[in-house]
Order: sequence, then C-alpha cells, then structure tokens
Amino acid sequence: MTAPPDLAQLRERYEQRLRLMVPAEMELLTGLSLFAGIPEKAREKVIEKVRKYIHLCTYSRGEVILREGDYGDSAYYVVAGTVEVVLGRPGEPDRPPAPRVRGGAHRVRPTDRAGARPGAERMIGRGGGTDTVVLSAFPAEVAPGGRALLEAGEIFGEISALSRYPISATVRAASPLKLLQIRLPGLRMLQASSKEFKKFLDTRYRERTLARHLKSVSLFEDVAAAVIESVREKAELVAFEPGQIVAEEGKPADAFYLVRGGYLKVSVTAGTADLAVTYLRTGDFAGEASLVLDDEPWPFTLQALEHVELVKLARDDFRKILAAHPKVEEKLWQSMVARLKLRGAAARHPVSSEYLQMAMDTGLIHGESVLLIDLATCTRCDDCVRGCADAHAGEPRFIREGQRYRNWLVPTACYQCTDPVCMMDCPTGAITRAVGTLEVQINPATCIGCSNCAKRCPWGNIVMVEQEERRPDGKHVELASKCDLCFGRPEGPACVQMCPHGSAQRISFKDMERVVETLR
Amino acid sequence: MTVAPVLRPKVPRNLRLTAAAALVILVVYAGGAWLWPWSPKRGLGLAFGFAAALAFVVEMLYPARRPRARPFGTARAWLQAHVYLGVLAFLAVLVHAGLSWPRGAMGFWLLALSAWTTTSGLVGVWLQKSIPRAMADGLQVEALYERIPQLAAELVGEADALVADASDVLERFYREEVRDRIATLQPSWAYVLDVRAGRERALEPFRRMVTFVSAEEKGKVEDLASLLTEKLELEAQLRLQGVLRRWLWLHVPPAGLLIGLVVVHVFAWVWY
Repeated sequence: MTAPPDLAQLRERYEQRLRLMVPAEMELLTGLSLFAGIPEKAREKVIEKVRKYIHLCTYSRGEVILREGDYGDSAYYVVAGTVEVVLGRPGEPDRPPAPRVRGGAHRVRPTDRAGARPGAERMIGRGGGTDTVVLSAFPAEVAPGGRALLEAGEIFGEISALSRYPISATVRAASPLKLLQIRLPGLRMLQASSKEFKKFLDTRYRERTLARHLKSVSLFEDVAAAVIESVREKAELVAFEPGQIVAEEGKPADAFYLVRGGYLKVSVTAGTADLAVTYLRTGDFAGEASLVLDDEPWPFTLQALEHVELVKLARDDFRKILAAHPKVEEKLWQSMVARLKLRGAAARHPVSSEYLQMAMDTGLIHGESVLLIDLATCTRCDDCVRGCADAHAGEPRFIREGQRYRNWLVPTACYQCTDPVCMMDCPTGAITRAVGTLEVQINPATCIGCSNCAKRCPWGNIVMVEQEERRPDGKHVELASKCDLCFGRPEGPACVQMCPHGSAQRISFKDMERVVETLR
Repeated sequence: MTVAPVLRPKVPRNLRLTAAAALVILVVYAGGAWLWPWSPKRGLGLAFGFAAALAFVVEMLYPARRPRARPFGTARAWLQAHVYLGVLAFLAVLVHAGLSWPRGAMGFWLLALSAWTTTSGLVGVWLQKSIPRAMADGLQVEALYERIPQLAAELVGEADALVADASDVLERFYREEVRDRIATLQPSWAYVLDVRAGRERALEPFRRMVTFVSAEEKGKVEDLASLLTEKLELEAQLRLQGVLRRWLWLHVPPAGLLIGLVVVHVFAWVWY
C-alpha cells in the first residue's frame, strides 16, 4: 500500500517553491564568480536582466534537490554548503529496495509489466535499453553507484536543462545548503551575454559529458577510446534558434553535426516544394556525406525546429580521425545509405513527407503515444471517454475534442512526450516517468495543485480538476489530471479497448511507417 | 471490383466465418428436412430453437462489455460478435420455424420481433458505417453533440460583434436575412441524405450581397458566410449524431421484448 503523504513536508516544499518566485538579491549575485566572465561594464545590466530567472534556495541536510529520472529546467550553482551526487545503479546492495510507488513512478521495468509494448524500453531518450540515460553535468569520475561531493562555486544540472535529458543522478544536500537556481531562460541569456560563461559551460560539457554522449551514439559506440578523445578535443559546440538554417541543400558540406539537444528538420527541395524527409533529435547526427565523399554538397537542408545544441566537427578534422579508424567510416556509409533511402522514400511517397511536416508543425512529433480517432468510422458514441472514466474512478482523462487532421481527430489526451516539459517545474516531483516507459504520470497524493504543469503543457493536455476537498480559504482543492495510458491496466489504454469500431488508436509519430499506414 | 467503404466489412474474416456458418445451418436444415418431417418441437428443429435462444441471451450481454467484462476482448470484438451472431440467430429462428410462417400469435410475434430486431440492427450497422464517413468527408466542423447548442450560440455572438460597426446596408442584411438563420438550429432530415444539403441556397444571398458593399466590408460578408456555414455544419452534426444515437430506440426496446417473449416461449414449451 502507498504510504500517505507527509503533509507537513509537502507544505514545506510548496512554501519553498513560493519563495522561488522571488528573484535573488542583486548584491548577492554581483559578488559571485559565476558572473565574473561578463565584461565589467555590462555585468550589472546583464545580471539585472537575468535576475528574474535566478532564485536563492536553501536546503536542509539530506533534502533532495534533483531526482534521478526527472527532467530539469534549471542549473544549480552552489553558493554555500556541500552537495552530494549519487549515481544510481539498479540492484546495488546498499540501496534501499525500490518501493512500488516512488513519487508516483511505478518502477516496474517496462518489459516486466503486463501488457508491455514490445520495444518500450527503447522508446524514450537514447537509453539503449539501460535503466538510465547516463548523460549528466555531474563529475565524470562518479561511477554508477558511486557518490561525489560538490562544494561552493560548482554548478550542476545544466546539461539536463539545456539538452532535455532526464537527470541521471540524485542530488542531495550534504550539509545546510544555499543554491542559486538558474532557470533555463536565464541560463540561455547568460550563455548569450557572457562568452566566459558559455565557454565555462562548454568546457564542462566537453570534459564531463561529451565523451559519454559520443559513446551513446551508434556511430561511436564500438570505437576505441582514442577516437572519442580525438573527436572530443576537436569538437565545436554550437547552438541555433528556431527556424535557423544549420545547413543548406546544395551548399558545400564542410562539417558533421551531432545533436546535443532539440529537434531539427531534414528536408529536400522537390520542385518548388520543401519536402520533409525526417527529423533529428538528441543523439542523431548529420553530415556524413561530407566525410565520406569528396566535395559533396549537402544533400538536404537542416533547420532548427526549436533551440538546438549541436556538436560540430570540421570535415578535415574528422577525416584525419577516419583515416585511422576505418570502422567509423563503414558506419558512416551505412548511415548515408539509410539517409538516401529515406530521401528516396520521401520523393516517392510525398504523403509521408506531408505527415512528417504536419507532425512537426503541430508538435505531434514529440508524442510517444498519441491518441487518434478516425472520424470516418467513429460513431461519436463516446465509449472511449466512458471507458477512460471507468478506468479512472469515474473521471475521464480526456475529451473527444481537439485538432483535426484530414479525417483524424487528435483529442486532448496527453501525447506522452519524449521530453515531457510538464515534468519540469513540478515543485513536489509529483509528475514522473520511470525511464524506459511511456507513461508520464501525476501522483495525486503528492500533487499540490500549483498548475505549473498545466501551464507548461504546450498542447493543453493537462487540466486542473476540482476536488471535493477544500482548502483553508474555502476554495476547492484542484489537482492536475492527465492521461496516463491507463498505467497498470493489463489490457492497455481503455479508450482504445472500449472503442467498438476500432476508430481509436495510439501511435507514435516517430514511427512514420505506422503513421502513413494509419493516416492514409 | 472495388467495394464501397460502407459495404466493406471491417473484419472480412468474420463475414466469411458467418457465411460459412450460415451455409452449414442451411445444409443441416435441408438434410434434416429431407430425411424427416421438420418440426420446431423436436429433433433438429428444437435444437435450432435452443441455439437461437442461447444466441439471443449472448446478444443481450453486449451492453455488459464495459467495464467488468474488459478481460474478454475489445469492444470491437464484442460488437463484431453481436452483429454476426445476431444474423446467425435470426437464421436459426427461421430454420427452427421450418422456413415457414408460424401458426399462432406467439410464433408470429417471435418471428416478427426477430425479423425487426435483426433488420433494425443491420440498419444500425449501415448507419454507423455511412454517417461517420459522410460527416468526415463532407463536414469541416467537428463538435460534441452536447455542446452543439452552446457553440451555435457563440456563433451568434461572433456575428453580432462582426456587424456592430458595419454600414447600414450590411447591418440590415444581417438583421433581416442572416441573424435568424445563425441563431436558430434547424437540423433538417435532409442532412441524412446529403450532409451539405441546402448550403448553396443558404449562401446565395451572401454572393449577392458582396456586390452591394464596399471593398472594406466584403471581408465581413465573407466572415458572415463562414459563420453561417459553420452553423449549417453544426446543424448537420446535430442531426446526424442524433440519428446515430436514436436509432437504438428502434433496436433495443424490441430486442428486450423479444427476449421476454423467448423466455415465455421456452417456459411454455417446458411446462406444456
């Protein structure tokens, strides 16, 4: 049975959250080494600008700051005190047994779960079937299962915030602690206004994370450490804003790009139309043609769909590495052939490209499990909604309304995004997803109804539901509610099972073959 | 040969299985009737009567498909079973009666209600296949049935706001020819035959009006036409979704009555 929530602790966390609404004091910030890289003349102005995104937080000894598997939207700078970083390792002897419910996250491995969808363990991030995506801004010397201490002046959490990877370690206060929480917009502002700060973050990424990031990419997974080291030294870290062209079709290809964070569109020109071929996300790469062919122009255009962070390798540098490691070149050829096939397929089946473009325009591309209703067969009986209500104590988690694409309706049911932005900013950690599963869940026992997640969800798929319980001020308590894919229901989502006409389907827009097959 | 989507079975295998089962029933009947004098009170005739009664009981379980029955397959499988078993049950009733009109009031009502229930069920299948397709192909607006009156009311508000500072000509045109059409929901039965029924005629005055207003107000006339189109689509949705909901009145009460009569019929057979 789930232990009842400690209300006092919850209230304390909520109050702490409220304190975060207050920007940090100017006097405190100006004296910190964090801002030393900003030219003195501009320093005060920059700090004033970013101050609203920076908050001073205090933690008692033992309090958890970040939890493994959650998504972060902030970097943390240690002002005073010591932070303990614990890298998890499943089944380690000194670790307490995983509770059935941990902050709402059912820790059942996806493959052990009744009704588990095949391949579910590979469906988020670039986990490669491991329990956690090991990419972090924590000291590289911390091995899985190990611990490390960070002292005043250290910064952590920035990679998770910038690249939208799940946090790969649990961070606790090892002593009474003062931290500066720098929210993502502030982090980006600082990067833009301080070359030193950007360099500082880039250096840390290069030193602590890049090697592991490279090893997590299929292209480099089997190569020797020396190759990784060479790439790491020569890589340039670049960022692009939404809409910016990273590479243009027909222009000389002079670099290789590896995606650190964000989404990019890959498109080709067909007549006067711009044909979307595929998209790239964290862990994907592009530009292999420039490495294996001489004077080959870019065969497609690469465009940032959101803020993207890339690792760039100049062609000549990479070629030197390739010369010594033919295995990498072999993989590049394979990748290029696959990409050409995709391009050919897009040209032959423009409908696939159209769907891809639609998915990118509407945000469905983020969805791991999007509910679609075929309006040509749906009798509007609402059995899907009733089924959902039956599965959730009478309270449906979606309504049969939403955007329409051709004959398909996309109801307001959670898409179970690859990078769930709703998870960021949850003050009590009530929103969780066990790494390797699809279901993003809200634990009603720890949700405090702050509505941060509902405001954050770009698709409006989280709603605040009034409860019978009342607050001391007499108002009804409101809790966040969203589709959880009927987690734990052996038959899978009730909406799909209860549709008498087979009109309701769940699909991932990452599986374009299935999308084309379904939507045609 | 291409079969229209409305006539295409959702699960062709089930249609084939049902056709095969129907053939078996007819062959058994032909064989039985050839060998022995056919009677609904004994032998194969009685067996078919029991089979039909059992099938009716299973048919009656369809509304129980959720939520407790969820481990027993998807709602789609339940509906498929309901439809095809219903057809076979009716065939079993016909064979039970020896493919002849029964004598007596009870026999008459049992057969008549079986025929009505099966036919209304098949009409329902046709409606459930044809109406959604017509709505999806012919209508741009999609709305929840319960919200349609509210959405239509919102359209009036939008239209009123649109002509708030319009010229006298446009304002009079709106007041006299348009407002009532937008304000009142008149879901015509013609929508069942054509989801865009009456649209061209309803939009004709707007095409006329465009020639009488200034260039700046042409946009407003087009917006008003769009609002009326949206309202017409809401009407079509209201009518068609209403039909999809209400055809069950033709099916469920007679089916309930049929089950009641079957119970009486079986009881009478056992008793007497």
